[in-house]
Amino acid sequence: MSSTSQKHRNFVAEPMGEKSVTDLAGVGEVLGKRLETAGFDKAYVVLGQFLVLKKDKELFQEWMKETCSANSKQSADCYQCLKDWCDEFL
Amino acid sequence: MADQVDSMSDAELRTKLAEHGFPVMPITASTRKLLVKKLKMVLDNKSKPRNSVDSKVESRRSLARYSSGEESDLDSTNNAKERRGRRATTGGAMLPPVTNKSRRIPLKKDSPAKRDSDKGSESEEEKAPVRTHEEVETVTTRRVTRTYAANDQDDYETGSDSDVDTDKKTSSSFRSSSRSSDYISSTLPTNDAATSPPKSSIFSRPTLTHTNYTSNLSSSDQLNSIRSRLGLTSSLADRPSVSNYTSTYASNTYQPLTSSVDEIESPYLSNFTRRLSSLKPDPPKQTTFLDRDASNGSTLIPRRSYITGLMRSDVGDYKAVNDKKFLKNNLVSLALVALVALFFFCLFFMYIVKKNDITSVVDDQNSVVQICQLNIPGNRPGINCVPKEQVSYAKNLLKLIHPELTARVAAYKCGKPGALPYLKESEIIDLACVRPETVDVSQCKTDLNNLEVLLMHNPRWGLNVVQHNLYSKVVEYIPLTSTDVLVQQRNKNNVAIALSDPSTPILCLFVNTLYSAGSTFVVVGILSVLVLGLQRLYKYYLNYQKKKSEEIYSMVEQIIDVISQETEDSGEPYISVDHVRDTLISPQNREKMSSTWDAAVKFIQKNESRVRTEVQSVDGEDCRVWRWVASHSSPKRSTSWQGQAFETQEGSVNNLTVSPTPCLKIRHMFEKNDANPNLRTVIQDVILEKCDRCNILHIDIERTSCCVYVKCATPTDAGVVYKSLHGWWYEGRLITVKYLRLERYMQRFPNSPASGPYLKPSRLRRSWDE
Repeated sequence: MSSTSQKHRNFVAEPMGEKSVTDLAGVGEVLGKRLETAGFDKAYVVLGQFLVLKKDKELFQEWMKETCSANSKQSADCYQCLKDWCDEFL
Repeated sequence: MADQVDSMSDAELRTKLAEHGFPVMPITASTRKLLVKKLKMVLDNKSKPRNSVDSKVESRRSLARYSSGEESDLDSTNNAKERRGRRATTGGAMLPPVTNKSRRIPLKKDSPAKRDSDKGSESEEEKAPVRTHEEVETVTTRRVTRTYAANDQDDYETGSDSDVDTDKKTSSSFRSSSRSSDYISSTLPTNDAATSPPKSSIFSRPTLTHTNYTSNLSSSDQLNSIRSRLGLTSSLADRPSVSNYTSTYASNTYQPLTSSVDEIESPYLSNFTRRLSSLKPDPPKQTTFLDRDASNGSTLIPRRSYITGLMRSDVGDYKAVNDKKFLKNNLVSLALVALVALFFFCLFFMYIVKKNDITSVVDDQNSVVQICQLNIPGNRPGINCVPKEQVSYAKNLLKLIHPELTARVAAYKCGKPGALPYLKESEIIDLACVRPETVDVSQCKTDLNNLEVLLMHNPRWGLNVVQHNLYSKVVEYIPLTSTDVLVQQRNKNNVAIALSDPSTPILCLFVNTLYSAGSTFVVVGILSVLVLGLQRLYKYYLNYQKKKSEEIYSMVEQIIDVISQETEDSGEPYISVDHVRDTLISPQNREKMSSTWDAAVKFIQKNESRVRTEVQSVDGEDCRVWRWVASHSSPKRSTSWQGQAFETQEGSVNNLTVSPTPCLKIRHMFEKNDANPNLRTVIQDVILEKCDRCNILHIDIERTSCCVYVKCATPTDAGVVYKSLHGWWYEGRLITVKYLRLERYMQRFPNSPASGPYLKPSRLRRSWDE
């Protein structure tokens, strides 16, 4: 956790508002598209899923893998991003 | 089983998951699939639990490590030695992952070591221990509490606890290391049937089957070595007998079985459980334990027996040892106490004995008896000598009056009213006459006189002939030393007999001491109460003073606020003192607060330079007023503007004659790290108040470059703003203003209004709100 990506920092810096799902760290265009087809078009929808899974890292990563076939790095980034955001704003 | 999971309802799914130790979470359309998958994996995993047995056993052992401190070291070395043969190949590879938890490493090595012996070392497997280790950690904590809770239960209970654990373990270990489990299940399909255990026998079986399973896979000599280590003398073909034994166990005689279970399982059973079972007063168990060890002939014997020996001595003789220890440790202090007690007892005894020795003293040969001899002319019987035949009478008289005298002294010392510490002659004669052998009163008198002479010559007897004062109220007496005085006093009827060193009876002494101690206590108590009360009073007084002065200061502040506000608002330079008071203090408080008010007024008169007290006629009536002196010199509102640094008036070099644009850029009005959230409003108000004669359309700030952008209605207005702001000090910073082209401004603020309502300062409104 020594360095986080710029995307991560941007996301964690402020309330997510109406940010798109691609603003999440670890979610690029491809994953974003897949998530949107699965109905997760906004970052807050993913947050909802994250919260429903009780912030469980394993389950969330599993879910990411299932929904948009994210690899473990991407899902870990996304998890960390949401977790930090929650720690900050929730 | 896995097929049912798909068709389960949400509630069923949830309970199922909860059973397997998952956190209960909402089952929604999006999570359901995931959870179903998880549950399936868990169920799959449960049907082949062998892979988890390893880690479960580890958890138990690790528990033993941490729950029973003094044995853990022993056990770990034991374990290490036991495994050394097989671990040699992998030991190096296993060590690095968790170096700071060196204690647990031996456990961890267990499983990979076994697997290695099965399959040879593979690079994949080197990761496995780390994962297992994580599980071990979590389960360890759980187990610790549980085992302690099950403290009072028998071994079976503890066993079944670990049974539940097996299930949980299965699931969790699968979660973390599915790879290893897959591997095991794929390589060992044949063992499946043999090891799928009936629920009831899980208690002892996982370990057993596990052992068999391992040995099955390893070479035969390894098998034998393991067997000998585990104390299993039966061969592989004997496995049914093991399950037989398990079933007998299940058929309810726990007590005898625990021992053998204990033994068979002992390499894996937690030390705590072992000790628990050994705590039971069950001698046969222990002997079998030993016997087995002896007959085993394996390398384990010495260490094992050592452990059991230790435990037996620990447990069996625990109480006796404890008592002895106590005695040993406290021998010196007990002896000291005994000595002191003896000393005081002796003292007491001597005291008691010393009291009743008057008879022996009187009959002592050493006492001086002045016998009257007829041929010496100075001899007068009853005055300076005693006739020989009357000495015994006098002594008898003494023995008679002595107890009476002692009683008197005691009564006197105990503070009985009217009691005297001596016996008067008349009283003695009365006493003597009661004697049955008394002949007449004159005889008594003679005896008494003789006795007095004897007493005067024998101070050792502890009695004095004294002269008492009849008329004084205070009880006092003077010992008589010469016979002449005695004769004188005898004539005056003033002679009495008293004890020379009157001792107080113990009870009275005690009571007296109590009295004096009590009175001392009372005095000390009263004094301390007084001191405390004074201190409390002083504190209260200080507090009161503080409160009062605080009140006064706040009142002064309020007064000054009111004065400055009122004089500013009404335009009159002064305000009536009473008016201020009536504004500040509500009618019901006016009487109460009058002292505070007076003090505040005095304070203002003395120490407030901005307020001058004078007498003015208000509405034809002279009354004291306060004049707000500072009102004009320093208007409060513009404190932030601290004056102009250079000239911007018409004709000055700093002034442009024509204002080119309506837009301005103002620098240095705030600092970069100014975190004030209302900064924009503040700046806007400040600017609008400073340039209240011009029409400003839009003001905005940019925090990063510390600039304020102002858009005015016309270039002329911008010129006015420019003149009134450029070169001013604002809060210690020099402001510079520049004109900005309108296009640039619009680029930056495309939404800024081109016309319409001009900005108004919001401060007035805010100050009203406040």
